[in-house]
Amino acid sequence: MALINLLFFPGFTFLFMCALFFEWLDRRIIARFQERVGPPWFQPLADFIKLLAKEDIVPSGAHAKAAALLPMFSLTAVLTAGLYVPVGNVVTASFEGDLIVVLFLLSLPALGYFLAGWTSVGVYSLIGGHRSLLQYFSYEVPFLMAVASPAILSGSWRIASIAAYQSQTTWGALMQPLGFILAIIGLIGKLKRDPLDIPKAKSEVVAGSLTDFSGRKIALWHLSIYIQTVVGIFLLVNLFLGGSSHQSLFVALPIFGLKALGILILLSMISVLYARLRIDQLANLGWRVLAPLALIQLLVTIWSGG
Amino acid sequence: MQQWLTKQVHNIVSWARRKSPWILHFNSGGCNGCDIEILDLLTPRYDVERLGILKEASPRHADILICTGPVTRQSRDRLRQIYEQIPEPKWVVAVGSCSCSGGVFQGGHNILGGVENVLPVDIYIPGCPCRPEAIIDGLAQLLETIT
Repeated sequence: MALINLLFFPGFTFLFMCALFFEWLDRRIIARFQERVGPPWFQPLADFIKLLAKEDIVPSGAHAKAAALLPMFSLTAVLTAGLYVPVGNVVTASFEGDLIVVLFLLSLPALGYFLAGWTSVGVYSLIGGHRSLLQYFSYEVPFLMAVASPAILSGSWRIASIAAYQSQTTWGALMQPLGFILAIIGLIGKLKRDPLDIPKAKSEVVAGSLTDFSGRKIALWHLSIYIQTVVGIFLLVNLFLGGSSHQSLFVALPIFGLKALGILILLSMISVLYARLRIDQLANLGWRVLAPLALIQLLVTIWSGG
Repeated sequence: MQQWLTKQVHNIVSWARRKSPWILHFNSGGCNGCDIEILDLLTPRYDVERLGILKEASPRHADILICTGPVTRQSRDRLRQIYEQIPEPKWVVAVGSCSCSGGVFQGGHNILGGVENVLPVDIYIPGCPCRPEAIIDGLAQLLETIT
């Protein structure tokens, strides 16, 4: 049973399929908003297979071992995080305090991304790595504070209990709208999605840390970023949209899926609507606006008797 | 059995290669006319993302190098360098009359001629500048040859 959980549902296979589906849907929604047709449904799979089958070049001077290990490291981190996040009413592994573990595992790819830029020789990858670290310091603090408020409100640091508490009372997004907005912004920063894609901005730093990677390394990086998207969205569904704790699996999963798609569509719309920020603008926004707002949210939660 | 399996894997990989060509665009000294036509491909009117084509910024991520303009003496080394940075398998498309043969720049003191003088070209798309439809047609013909 544990092996099935690890390999199929809600382990690797499920997260892999979700990642491909979310990537396709994301690209498709963005294309439809730009009055384009967008890629066909098999596009992420074709991209993945093609990249796996391409030549794997390590530029001279780059750290070959680090280049090979870092994508696997971030993929492992996000897949492990996926195990602790309840999907529907399926709770694979859960203990008091697993929210902190998930947050830690979800922020490990940022470290991997920075190290990937640091150990490859390219100028663009170096700048991309530095930018990703600076971006990390800007979004992570408000994100953590925003995510902590539903935990304080429900009096538990266990994701499944937070979701259960919200399905008995009301959605966290309604009780803490400010925290929800901050968590969405933090998630965008974490995933390096469009308004905050500063570390991999095409027109500025080519492809950021990943500029000099090719073949299966870039395939694994893409996969880990999209699995991070899936796990991050699932986490927010549990923390702010009440998860889905219906008795029957066949009712709980579709409800959970709809909520997750709602957040995905929200993220896609935001990336269509807004232009990219500069890194100094993000640092200003993070520390002068987002962090105080998150602090207010946190204090209100505590005073209102969490 | 092993042979059959190898063939199936090969079929899947070449399907993926046909369905996901990522392009890199390099202008080696042209007038910018063809480059604008290539950018047209990404606009809502032509939208090549429905064919799986993405325009990549780094040569290490690309599959197809799209060249425009004649090759000048100064850009020759850079063109070659960019070509060598693309991981195998890779293809080269010459877009526009200048890229195919040197065009009106032919015989200039700083011009080497078309891209074929520097790189192995897989498909030529003539025109001055060539229409986006012609570029899509050329790319589709190139993708058909991938087996």
